[in-house]
Amino acid sequence: MVTEPVPEFETQDLLINVGPQHPSTHGVFRMVMEIDGEVVKDVIPHIGYLHRGAEKLCENNDFRQGVGYMDRTEYLAAHNAELSYVMAVEALAELEVPARAQWIRMILCELNRLSSHFMFFGAFGVDVGVFGTPFVYAWRERETLIDLFEEISGDRMMYAYFRAGGLAWEVPPNFKERVREVLKSSRQGVKDFDGLLTENEIFIARTKNVGIISAEDAIEIGMSGPSLRASGVPLDIRKTEPYLFYDQVEFDVPLGENGDVFDRYYVRLQEMEQSMRIIEQCLDRLEDGPIMPERMPRMLRLPEGQEVYIRTEAPRGEYGVYLVSKGGNKPWRLKVRSACLSNLQALKQMSVGQYVADAIIILGSIDIVLSEVDR
Amino acid sequence: MKGIVKSLAVTMSTFMRRPVTRNYPTVHRELPERDRAFPLLLWDQDIDEPFCTGCHACERACPVECMTVLMKDNPAHESQGGTSKRRKIVDEFWIDYGRCMRCNICVEVCNFEAIAMNNTWRGHEMSVYDRSDLVMDLPQLMMQSKANEIHEWVAD
Amino acid sequence: MSDGIFGIENTWLDAAIRIQLIVGLMTIVVMGLIYAERKILARFQQRLGPTRTGPAGLLQSLADALKLVGKEDLRPRNADPWTFELAPYLVFVPVFMSFVVVPFVVGWQVRIVELGLIYFVAVSSLSIIGWIMAGWGSDNRYAMIGGMRAAAQGISYELPLVLALISVAMVANSYDLNEIVAGQGRWPNVVWQPMVVVVFVIAGLAELNRTPFDIPVGESEVVGGPFVEYSGIRWSMFFLAEYAALFIMALIFAAVFLGGWAWPLGEEWGRWWQLALVSIKAGLFIFFVFWVRASVPRLRIDQLMSFSWKILLPLMLVQVLVNGAVLVYGGPLWILTIAGLVGIAVLVKLVGHAVSQPRPKVVVAASAEGEVAS
Repeated sequence: MVTEPVPEFETQDLLINVGPQHPSTHGVFRMVMEIDGEVVKDVIPHIGYLHRGAEKLCENNDFRQGVGYMDRTEYLAAHNAELSYVMAVEALAELEVPARAQWIRMILCELNRLSSHFMFFGAFGVDVGVFGTPFVYAWRERETLIDLFEEISGDRMMYAYFRAGGLAWEVPPNFKERVREVLKSSRQGVKDFDGLLTENEIFIARTKNVGIISAEDAIEIGMSGPSLRASGVPLDIRKTEPYLFYDQVEFDVPLGENGDVFDRYYVRLQEMEQSMRIIEQCLDRLEDGPIMPERMPRMLRLPEGQEVYIRTEAPRGEYGVYLVSKGGNKPWRLKVRSACLSNLQALKQMSVGQYVADAIIILGSIDIVLSEVDR
Repeated sequence: MKGIVKSLAVTMSTFMRRPVTRNYPTVHRELPERDRAFPLLLWDQDIDEPFCTGCHACERACPVECMTVLMKDNPAHESQGGTSKRRKIVDEFWIDYGRCMRCNICVEVCNFEAIAMNNTWRGHEMSVYDRSDLVMDLPQLMMQSKANEIHEWVAD
Repeated sequence: MSDGIFGIENTWLDAAIRIQLIVGLMTIVVMGLIYAERKILARFQQRLGPTRTGPAGLLQSLADALKLVGKEDLRPRNADPWTFELAPYLVFVPVFMSFVVVPFVVGWQVRIVELGLIYFVAVSSLSIIGWIMAGWGSDNRYAMIGGMRAAAQGISYELPLVLALISVAMVANSYDLNEIVAGQGRWPNVVWQPMVVVVFVIAGLAELNRTPFDIPVGESEVVGGPFVEYSGIRWSMFFLAEYAALFIMALIFAAVFLGGWAWPLGEEWGRWWQLALVSIKAGLFIFFVFWVRASVPRLRIDQLMSFSWKILLPLMLVQVLVNGAVLVYGGPLWILTIAGLVGIAVLVKLVGHAVSQPRPKVVVAASAEGEVAS
């Protein structure tokens, strides 16, 4: 019996706009998702809502004024942002940074990595659906950390503490005790997070094998940082091109296996443990000394026509600063290589084929901060 | 199920701890000495005049160009029969707090230690209804130091 | 039939008074529950809850209610008027109707219904229609998605819930809630049916649309679910219905599994002690629900459905069979206890297998020589 072929049932894909205002507190980021039922077919990100022209503004500011702009490009990990900039200037000016300043810089950068990863856990917990507990734990831990930063530099988030050549001023006399106190409280916080989420079956069911990206794809896209290491690629700038004194301390680099959301979460958890290990070693090796080189010019002037690219391992990935000098005290061009922007390119590949509910979690697991994406 | 039981255990252990909430604004925590709110001008209590001479150093150093300074001859200078050693003194001084990014550079470049960051709560509680109220003029900038409320911290 | 309340003989007047008492009690209890949830959740997160409205924040629920009353009652232009406006009633009224059978204390209930358990289950599933109406009538695709998910979830978890209650009815040999409670003078039913308690709690959480099953009202995805277009009093009716349903579920749990007023004190202790006992037992369930909300992430809709159909339902069917076998062939009841504990072990195993991941292992590279995997 011959029957007529049934005509294909044409359905239109639904366009959902996950608008600039999220409940998921990642900043102003807009995603337009094309979904077919529950499955995501395409993701079109729209960025630029937080563009403030930081790079252009830095062209009119000398090398001390620019520090304030740099730590606004990545406000959650401001010490790392300032560090890249300041190291670039020092490389061009050929300044020798005293050892004490380097150790203190290391401690502050690792503390900032802790506070940035706490923020990640907080936002990620909200995405996964736990009502508010990880978020509040995160803020409890961040409060102790930024209280410490306030005692050192005066500000809770926009420190403007590093200068080309060293630090702006000396740390308070009870620095070591305070850092040890903060470490104790952070250890408790990491333990809380570990117990709350890592072995929770529902959490595992939500995050395992979701948003997988393979190592080859990740390298092709240009990812870096914990998102790359979760796919199994052992690339950590602190090990491959050590800066500050990272080659003199012992620490491990956690790697993931599958490159899914759970691995990205777990790698960050492990990294926090390693950061605390680094801070302990730095505290033991910290000695007295100057924090600025002896002959510092009043106004730093760079020779003309020099360029340098300095990269450091920010909590989100490779934060690079490309500096071109034109002679004088202002740069000709300052370009910031943003880790989050490169990591965000992987969003489409990770999300296509997943459910809508998972797309939110995947975005959360890349851990972007919009001020760095848009600068 | 074991993982879920562990999560429940963690939450229960938090239940037993003391809440970490500070009941602002009933309770204000003590600010550290180095806390950086917005800049203030300092008043020389001995001679009863501001330290600031209006030399424009901070105005030039400011990354966001939030200050406007005017200087005048000091009527209280020794040559005029007064007790001060400052030949010039500040005439008008405006800082736009809405633009200031609290980077501390003005404090670092000042030769006379005349400007310092406000490290009291008054510096943080600055809500206004109209943005132009954030432009502070000389009397407002000197008010707290004149009243001897400031224990400023300036880096060495 | 019990005596009329306050000695009133006319059954209609007696019923009316009892219903009024229940409605009044419910409103106060629900407002208290909302306040308790905020405070308890806050304590789980190491913060204070509401503290400023009234002493220790006690008037917070009242303030919220007053605010909601003052809001503008919006209706989307293309919303179907009948569906949109009737939906809150269809969610709200069945919950109150289930209060007819709940026994607070011996002699204190609205009516003794012989098929009380069946009545409860039947009436409470009417609210699912209300959810679908809310979702469809709102003329909003997110509300529609939320309504569909809520309905699918509600229907899927009805089955384990009903089977759980039927297993207990089999052991107690009656559908009447009063008799079920009275029969627990010696041992509460949790001893004979441990696995059923676990399944009841899980299915109850799903029926209440509570974490981890709160996809329909998931905040970070479809914000608000089917209620996204409602405002003011209409929305608060949904909200009140949710907390009233929580209270009912807690009372049923206390009555059916923990022995209500009858265990461990029995009827000699007087009405107020019994009421306190019932309140404590219901409070345990409610505290557990809040505790779970503060600790556990949310399940995805397909995981939720497969959990109900593939794990809970088969286990409950086996439990009913075992109950039947033991009761018909006259075996001792402790066989049921052992079977229940075995069932819990099987449930844990199945959940672990469904998640089926080994303990997380992290490969730690002690020194990377700078080689990037090619």
